[in-house]
Amino acid sequence: MVLFFQLVVDGLASGAIYASLALALVLIFRATRIVNFGQGEMATFSAYCAWQLCEWGVPMMLSFLVAGVLAFLLGIGVFRLVIRPVSTAPVEAVVVATLGLFVVFQALSLWLWGSDQRAFPSMFPNVGWDIRGVRLTASAAGMIAVLICLAALTGVVFRFTRLGLAMRASAYDGEKSLLVGIPVERMLMLGWGFAAAIGFVAALLVGPRLFLSPTMMMPILLYALASATLGGWDSPLGAMIGGLIVGVAESLGATFLPFIGADLRVVIPILVTLVVLLVRPVGLFGTRTVVKL
Amino acid sequence: MSTQLLRFAPAALVAALLGLPLFVPDFLLFEISIAVSYGIAILGLNLLLGFTGQICLAQGALFGVGAYTTAILNVSFGWDPVATLPFAAISAGLIGVIIGLPALRLQGLQLAIITFGVASAFPQLLLKMDTLTGGVTGLATDQPFAPKWFPGSQEAWLYGLSLICAAISIVVVTRLLRGDTGRMMRALRDNPVIAEALGVNLTKGRLAAFAVSSALAGLGGGLFCILNGFISPQSFLPMKSIDILIGGIVGGITSIAGAFIGALFVVFVPGFTTDINPALGGLIYGLCLIGMMMIARQGIAGLRMEKLPAAILGVFKFKSSSRFPGAVPGQLGGE
Amino acid sequence: MTMLKIQGLSAGYGAADVLHSVDFTVEQGTIVALLGANGAGKTTILRALSGLVPARGTIHFRGKDVSRCNAAQRVALGLAHIPQGRGTFGDFTVEENLAAGAFTVTDRRQIAQDMERWYAAFPRLAERRRQQAGSLSGGEQQMLALARALMSRPKLLMCDEPSLGLAPAITQEIFEIFKTLNREHDMTLLIVEQNADLTLQFADTAYVLESGSFTVSGAAAELLGNEAVQQSYLGV
Repeated sequence: MVLFFQLVVDGLASGAIYASLALALVLIFRATRIVNFGQGEMATFSAYCAWQLCEWGVPMMLSFLVAGVLAFLLGIGVFRLVIRPVSTAPVEAVVVATLGLFVVFQALSLWLWGSDQRAFPSMFPNVGWDIRGVRLTASAAGMIAVLICLAALTGVVFRFTRLGLAMRASAYDGEKSLLVGIPVERMLMLGWGFAAAIGFVAALLVGPRLFLSPTMMMPILLYALASATLGGWDSPLGAMIGGLIVGVAESLGATFLPFIGADLRVVIPILVTLVVLLVRPVGLFGTRTVVKL
Repeated sequence: MSTQLLRFAPAALVAALLGLPLFVPDFLLFEISIAVSYGIAILGLNLLLGFTGQICLAQGALFGVGAYTTAILNVSFGWDPVATLPFAAISAGLIGVIIGLPALRLQGLQLAIITFGVASAFPQLLLKMDTLTGGVTGLATDQPFAPKWFPGSQEAWLYGLSLICAAISIVVVTRLLRGDTGRMMRALRDNPVIAEALGVNLTKGRLAAFAVSSALAGLGGGLFCILNGFISPQSFLPMKSIDILIGGIVGGITSIAGAFIGALFVVFVPGFTTDINPALGGLIYGLCLIGMMMIARQGIAGLRMEKLPAAILGVFKFKSSSRFPGAVPGQLGGE
Repeated sequence: MTMLKIQGLSAGYGAADVLHSVDFTVEQGTIVALLGANGAGKTTILRALSGLVPARGTIHFRGKDVSRCNAAQRVALGLAHIPQGRGTFGDFTVEENLAAGAFTVTDRRQIAQDMERWYAAFPRLAERRRQQAGSLSGGEQQMLALARALMSRPKLLMCDEPSLGLAPAITQEIFEIFKTLNREHDMTLLIVEQNADLTLQFADTAYVLESGSFTVSGAAAELLGNEAVQQSYLGV
C-alpha cells in the first residue's frame, strides 16, 4: 500500500509536467485549431535562455522571469512570422509548418548550446518529508503546486477578466468576436504568447529532473499530446486532469503490469487515451468533436 | 504539339529512370534507391490520407515491421531476401489492420495521436523482443547479388529492384483508385455519413485502406532492409513516421508522383542543408519546411509553374493573408 | 445629419463581385430597409460595411471615412452589426454575452449601468442571466443579440434578417422593439429583410436590391403601395 501511494505521488509530479505542456497545446488549439508540434522545442529553447542567464550570474528567479517574458515574445513572434502566413493553407500544410518549428528550435538550441547535457537549477529546495512511509519531496510538492497555480491563474483570467472573455470569444468564433469590436488576431497572438510561457513553465519543471538538452522535451510531447486528447482538445481543465491521469497511470502501470515494465511505459498513455476515447470520443471534458486533423 | 509531347512524357520518364545508372555515381544511386523505398511507404500514406481522409502516424513502425519481416525470414530461416518482400507487405498489412481498428471510431487528431503512440512504442517493442529481433545490435541481412550477365554495378542492380517494387506499388494504387474502390474511398473522405447512407461499408472500406497503405509501408520497409543490408531499432524511431508524413505532405498528398518527390525531399534536403552549413543544417531544413508550406500549399506536385511567382510574392504580402478575421471559413480542425 | 453615406461600394468573394458599385445614404434617426430576394447581395452590403469582407468604394460614417478601418475599429466608432443567425456566443452565459458586447466600452461603471438598463428593457434576459445563450429560444436569442449590440453604445444598428427562424408574433415583437429604440433612443437602424411587407410598415425609407444593384428606392410607404414593386421584387 505504501508503494502504491508512493507511485501515485511520483505519478502526480510527472503528471504535472505533462499537464502544463498539454495546457499550452490546448490553449493554442482552442484559439487557432492548430496543434503546435513545436511547443516542446520552443519551451526547451526558452529554458536554455533561462539557463544562460543563470550562467551569466543573474539570480535564478530573475532569470526565470526574464526567460518567461522572452518565451511570451517568442510565441507572439512565431504567430506573426509563421502561423499567420500559413493560416489560410490546408491543414496538412499547417501541420508541416509546426513540425518545421519543431526542427528549427531543436536545431537552434543545438547550435547555440551544443548537445552536452547541462545541470538545470531547481526552483525547489532539496528536502523531503516522510508521511507514513511515503516520501514526498519538495520538488514533487512544488510541481503539483505550480500546476495548481497555473490552473487557478488560467481559470481566473478566462472566467473573470475582460481580456480572458475576449480571448474566449475569439477562440469560440472569430467573426462574431470582430462584430463586437474584439481585435481577434491580437487575441490569438496573445494566446500563442501565453501558451509559449506556459510551455516554458513545463520546461522549468522538466529541467532539474532530466538534464537540460536540446531533445529534452521530445518524450514529454507525446505524453502531453495524449493528455490533451484524453482530456478533450477544447478543455484546458481537461488537459490538466488528463496530464495527471497519464502521469499516475504511467507510474502505476510501469510497476504493477509486469509485461509492460519500465521499457514499454510509453504504451501506457496511449492505452489509457485509447480506452477513454473509445468510451467518449471527444475526450473526458471535450464538447465539440474534432473531425479532421 | 504539346499534347503529343505529353503523351510521350511517361515513356521519357521511364527511359530517364532506367538510364539513370549510366550517369549517376553509385553512392547517389544507393541514396536514390533508399528514397524510392520511402516513397513506397509515403505512397501508402497518401492513399490513406489523401484519398480516404484518414491519418496514420505509425507508418514508420509499419515500415519497420516490413523490414524486420524480411530480415528475420532471411537471417533465421535462410530465405532469399527478394522472396521475403511479399511477406513483408502481408505482415505489415495485417498489423496495419489492427492499428486501423481504432480508426473505425476515431478520426483526425485523435487517430493521429493514437497511431503516433504506436510509432513511439515500436522501437521499445523491438528491444523487448530481442530473441527475435537481435535487440540493440540489430540484424544484418544478405544482399541479392547482381547476376554475372548484368553489366552494371551492385548498386544499379538494387536500384533496378527498387524501381520494380515502386512500379508494382504504383500499379496497385492506380488500379485501386480507378475503379469502384477508388470512388468508394473518395466518398469516405468527402463525407463518410453520406457514403454510408449510400451503402458503402464504412468498416470494410476504412480497414481495407489501412491494409493496403500498411502493406505498401511494409513493402517499402522490406526493400529498405535489403538495400541497407542492416537494420536496428535506431532505424525506426518515431521521427521516421514524422518524416514519412512530411514527405507525403511536402510532395502532395493526393498525388502518386508527389509521394516519390516527397521521398526525395526528406532523403536529400536534410543532407543538402547540412552541406550548406554543418552547424545550421537542421535550422535551414526547418525553415525550408516552413517556407515550402507558405509557397507550395498543396505540396510540390500541386505546384503550377505559372503560379509560382504569385505564390512566392504572396508570402510577403502580410496584410489580408490571414484566415483569422473570419472572411474565409476556417478549415483547421473543422467541427 | 447623414449617418451613413456609401459611394460606389463593390464587394465580393474571390474573383466575382456580388455588389456592383452601389450608392445609398442613411439619415440619422431613421429606419432604413434593404430588401431583395435571396442572393441579391443584401448580406454582403452589411458585411462590407462592418469590415468583414474587403470592399472598394467609400464609406462615410458620421462624416468620417471609415473605409480603411478594420472591423473592430468600426464597432468602436458606433457601428453595430447583428449578423444572420444572431451572432451570440452559444457557450457563454447571457451575462457574458453582454459583457463581450461591451468590449469597446472601457468605463466599468457605464457597462454596469448599460447592463441594468437593457435587463430592464428585456426582462426575459434578466431572468436568464446565468443561463447559456445556446439554451435560449430563438426569440430570446434575437433579443440577446440586440441587447449585446446595444452594449457597444452604437449610433447605427445594422440587423441582418431579424425574422429568420422566428414565429410571426415574435418577429412582430422584435420590430416593435426596433421602433421603440428608434423613437425613444433616437437610434438609427439599417435592416436587411426578406419579409418585405412587415419591414415596409416599420421603415422610413427602403432600397430594393437585385443582383448586386439597387433597382428601386424611396419612402417605405410609397413602396408599400406600389404594386409593380410588390409584384416584381417583393414576391407578394
